[in-house]
Amino acid sequence: MMAGWNIFPWMAAVVVLLSASGAIIALLRKERSLMAILLAAMGIATMATFITMLWLSLERPPLRTMGETRLWYSFFLLISGLITYIRWHYRWVMTFSTMLATVFIIINLAKPEIHDQTLMPALQSIWFVPHVSIYMFSYALLGCATLLAIATLVRPKLDVDNAIERLLYGGIAFLTIGMLTGALWAKDAWGAYWSWDAKEAWAVATWSLYLIALHIAPSVMAHRRKRLFYVVIIVGFLALQMCWYGVNYLPSAAESVHTYNRD
Amino acid sequence: MSVKRVGDIGILAVVATAAITLILDGWVGAFPVELFRFPLNILTMALWLMLLVYLYRNHKSSSLARALLSPEATYLSLFILATIGIALGLELRPSTTAWPVVVGLLFILSHTTLVIMRGWRDSRGIRWRFSITHIGLWLALSAGFWGAPDREQLRMAITTEPTNEAYTMEGALRVLPYDVTLLESRIEHSPQGTPTHYEATIALEGKTVSLSVNHPYNRTMAQKIYLVNFGTTTSGERYAVVEIVDEPWQWITASGVVMLIVGAVLLFARGPRKRGVQQK
Repeated sequence: MMAGWNIFPWMAAVVVLLSASGAIIALLRKERSLMAILLAAMGIATMATFITMLWLSLERPPLRTMGETRLWYSFFLLISGLITYIRWHYRWVMTFSTMLATVFIIINLAKPEIHDQTLMPALQSIWFVPHVSIYMFSYALLGCATLLAIATLVRPKLDVDNAIERLLYGGIAFLTIGMLTGALWAKDAWGAYWSWDAKEAWAVATWSLYLIALHIAPSVMAHRRKRLFYVVIIVGFLALQMCWYGVNYLPSAAESVHTYNRD
Repeated sequence: MSVKRVGDIGILAVVATAAITLILDGWVGAFPVELFRFPLNILTMALWLMLLVYLYRNHKSSSLARALLSPEATYLSLFILATIGIALGLELRPSTTAWPVVVGLLFILSHTTLVIMRGWRDSRGIRWRFSITHIGLWLALSAGFWGAPDREQLRMAITTEPTNEAYTMEGALRVLPYDVTLLESRIEHSPQGTPTHYEATIALEGKTVSLSVNHPYNRTMAQKIYLVNFGTTTSGERYAVVEIVDEPWQWITASGVVMLIVGAVLLFARGPRKRGVQQK
């Protein structure tokens, strides 16, 4: 029954080994390295295989618990890092994305969260898989944009604005779709598109902050408001952490309708 | 008037408005949303739109119009939305009917309206991505803002005996023009004992209707009926709790949401505008 989680440490080791090898090769080579891309792609394929096996063993989409969403986040982070490397050839980006993905993998190893396979009635909806997976993908893209923003604040000579803007556009697009598929689902489940539950309120805060960054972006491309741009992206990412899991630690979480993933 | 002076007046206006709305909130309590039920909400909305159209068409160069159409007004709108989200997320003022929230949302809507009027087309024709995202946002926000007073949520406990008594969330009685009867209720459990499926079959207006989580019944274009709970009373009688949600503006919200999703897909597909175009 739980074969998926039982083999996670081994699969995780393979994923980290392949991804880290790809990241190190990318860091060392001045030119775009095919070997780095292949190793990173194999790491992603291994992660995809594990998620598929987990899905089959649980007999439901593995998107319910915090542990399961962390799994998707690590997966999409690796994908986003690889895409950024292939598209813009930042040698160090896969190192950061792999490190961040590894942190989430280690958290899952330390806290495996093996649950029964029940999918509660509220989650039995056609919106469940698109809503959560799209959100996780947007988190990963915005995580990569945040890494680049921090790197630029530390080393102002880095020229990564174009990549940040691209990642921001992709991240906000998926964040918007994730949020709105949630609204359509909420209307079917609870009768209101938006009820300003604590998690929904933080989702609005996150979305608004990233939209501020999106509207500042054209100024940044004209070499103005750069520092503000990076700071807003980082603050947006902090709000995103509140929305994802921070809200579970607030007193209002007890009354929240979004409490399936507290484990 | 100089840009700096307009900026200073703008900051002053924002601070003064925030202070006044906070004082109002403490003094008279929440904004009286219920006063703006149909048709007053439609009339107020029409008047507000006319004022904005008048401002844009006849006084586009005025300080007010320039301030409302400035990039700073966009940042302020989004900052207000983020602040509302954070305040409600932290339960600092857990109400969407607080004066600062209502006035803040009206400002966001006003700015969005003017921005749409200005930007829906440029010299190269209609700006599809801009129009779809901003009109979608406008529809979703407007339906939530102006339509909120018309939204009614009733709960009724139903048993095998027909009843037409429902209650508002505040506990006021509403007598419905139809009876509702519980015919059957069913619950399924997983082998571990966790509930996996709830379902109730009810009768209303000569129809037999099945209700379950995520599957409400569309009674009319504006009204949906949801299964909320069911069980057995201490006397052994079966009951179910259903929620009747009347939301006449729901299709406007849905249209806005769909447009925003299409806009988000275009945002991803087309990415940022070319630099040369931006600098123009």
